[in-house]
Amino acid sequence: MPPLFTGLAALTKLGFMNGDDGGLTKRQLGIILSLLGALALVAILAIDALDFGRQGGIGPAQSLALAVAAITALVGLTLIPLGDAPA
Amino acid sequence: MSGKLAPLHRGLMLCATAALLFAFFVYLLYTVNLLGFPYDYDQGEGFELVDSVFFSRGQLPYRDTEAYPFYASNYPPLFHVMAAPFVWLFGPAYWYGRLLGFVGSLISALAIARAVYRDGGGQKWIALLSGLAFLSSNFVYHIGPLFRQHTMMVTFEVAAVVLLASAFPRRDKGGIALGLLLLLCAGYTKQLAAFSALAVFAWMLLRRPGSALRWLAAFTLAGGLIFLWLNLASGGEWWRQAIVANVNDFIHEQALGLSFLWLKLHLALLVPAALLLLYEMYLDRLSLYSIWFALTALLGGVASGTWGAGDSYFVTSIAAACVLSGIFWSRTLAGSWRMPGFLRGLPLGRVSAIAMLIAPLLYLAYARATLKTPTDGAFSSLATVLGISGNTRDNFYDSATYRVGGYARIGYLLSPDDLAAGDAIVQLILEADKPAMSEDAGFSLAAGRDVISNPTQLRNLHKAGLFKGEALLKMIEEREFGVVILRALFYPPPVLEALDQNYEAGRTIRMNDFDYLILYPRSP
Repeated sequence: MPPLFTGLAALTKLGFMNGDDGGLTKRQLGIILSLLGALALVAILAIDALDFGRQGGIGPAQSLALAVAAITALVGLTLIPLGDAPA
Repeated sequence: MSGKLAPLHRGLMLCATAALLFAFFVYLLYTVNLLGFPYDYDQGEGFELVDSVFFSRGQLPYRDTEAYPFYASNYPPLFHVMAAPFVWLFGPAYWYGRLLGFVGSLISALAIARAVYRDGGGQKWIALLSGLAFLSSNFVYHIGPLFRQHTMMVTFEVAAVVLLASAFPRRDKGGIALGLLLLLCAGYTKQLAAFSALAVFAWMLLRRPGSALRWLAAFTLAGGLIFLWLNLASGGEWWRQAIVANVNDFIHEQALGLSFLWLKLHLALLVPAALLLLYEMYLDRLSLYSIWFALTALLGGVASGTWGAGDSYFVTSIAAACVLSGIFWSRTLAGSWRMPGFLRGLPLGRVSAIAMLIAPLLYLAYARATLKTPTDGAFSSLATVLGISGNTRDNFYDSATYRVGGYARIGYLLSPDDLAAGDAIVQLILEADKPAMSEDAGFSLAAGRDVISNPTQLRNLHKAGLFKGEALLKMIEEREFGVVILRALFYPPPVLEALDQNYEAGRTIRMNDFDYLILYPRSP
């Protein structure tokens, strides 16, 4: 199974749902951060794609937001291989 | 090796302590200087005092700005409620609000030292330096002894985080409840505490998601009920004034400039803090302090670019950096790092020995980077030795200078001339036989006259399309104000245009390095 799907499957096994409440693992945190970062990237780029009337392309604030979103996604990806270690 | 270095370590630690104690001494001087000044030092202080006066009368400051005196506040209530008993005892005055802020900053420093001592393995000296480092920051120094709610928000945040970092892992329900109550207090002191609340619940969700969700539900319910009550009691003005009108333009140059300044001034704290964050991210569990630091630095940095924001938006992240850097040095000096198997070959003993020199040297470097001092009188010899001269006023040096937009242009000591200038403006209000409209509330309060309007709030409302101002404009057009005092032209454009058409410049009075323009009604 591809790593992303393995990760999504791991997310569905959150301990507290079974009354365990043992906390998230590094892998689960990594997946959450990767997804949040990726979603943010898409959302920020979509501002330009949907806002037809605006001039000037990606502005400085948007560039900053893109950088933060990309870093978040990258940090998340680096955490996924750390597996079941507690986050 | 560490035995041979011990005397040098102690010597350097003494130097770092002396340097940070000097910074604290200047902070004390600044506070005492401000306590004796009865007018606005930082724009906005007077309106926080007006809010406190409203609360002391059992009234809310979230009011209809279309009716005389056109006043409303956009700040949550707690700090002003805390100041209200002082209004009962001493009447409207600035000193007790400034004292509350100063005491709040001391409590924050103590809580930081406590966290470093408790969670860093009992290194007393590093704990002391961590607390002093917080007070030495230029950003903390500025806002600490002002009649502004920001410092008290940080105090509640720091107390909440330090308490929760210990109580939540121990499943101490009383401690968790108290910690979340303090967090709620922070939010009802200033809206910016939302970033700390986000960090707290993110960390709680990482540790025990089920328990975190139950506490989050209780927290949201308690916060929501207060919100609802405020809105009902103010006839909807709380929502309108404190939430809807509290959105401003984003100035990216300001956010970037302040972020670089934060980095430059606090680098000696930020490097060890970032190293501990990375260690926890990849080799240990993430602590509340790390998540708090990362989120408040990022979100505070972004928020600092909004119009009206400034360097104070970084103060929470500075508190977090003080805690993290203190824990980093405590563990390094004690050689108490827990490393995974593949890193057990690291020469931690040697690292610990080197840290005996680097830790105090970095605190010394930090003290130099954040240096602020008068440069005249008893301080002139020190200024000569350090090779510095006044760079913000003729007789005051601030390492941050005034070059970055949004950096508070305050921090120097006030002179008797400033007091005389304030008295002169009050005299002009007393001489007028009609109401006075002033951009600073302090003059009207000192003259015993109505405080008319809150210029920045009218500006916010105007930008949000929520201010018609017909009654105020009519009063200006009919020249019903005997005198108008402008400082920064914060009023919305229609008000400024009406003032320009119906009033003329009388004189300019310089107080606290600002030119106050005195306007009088034009002759018919």
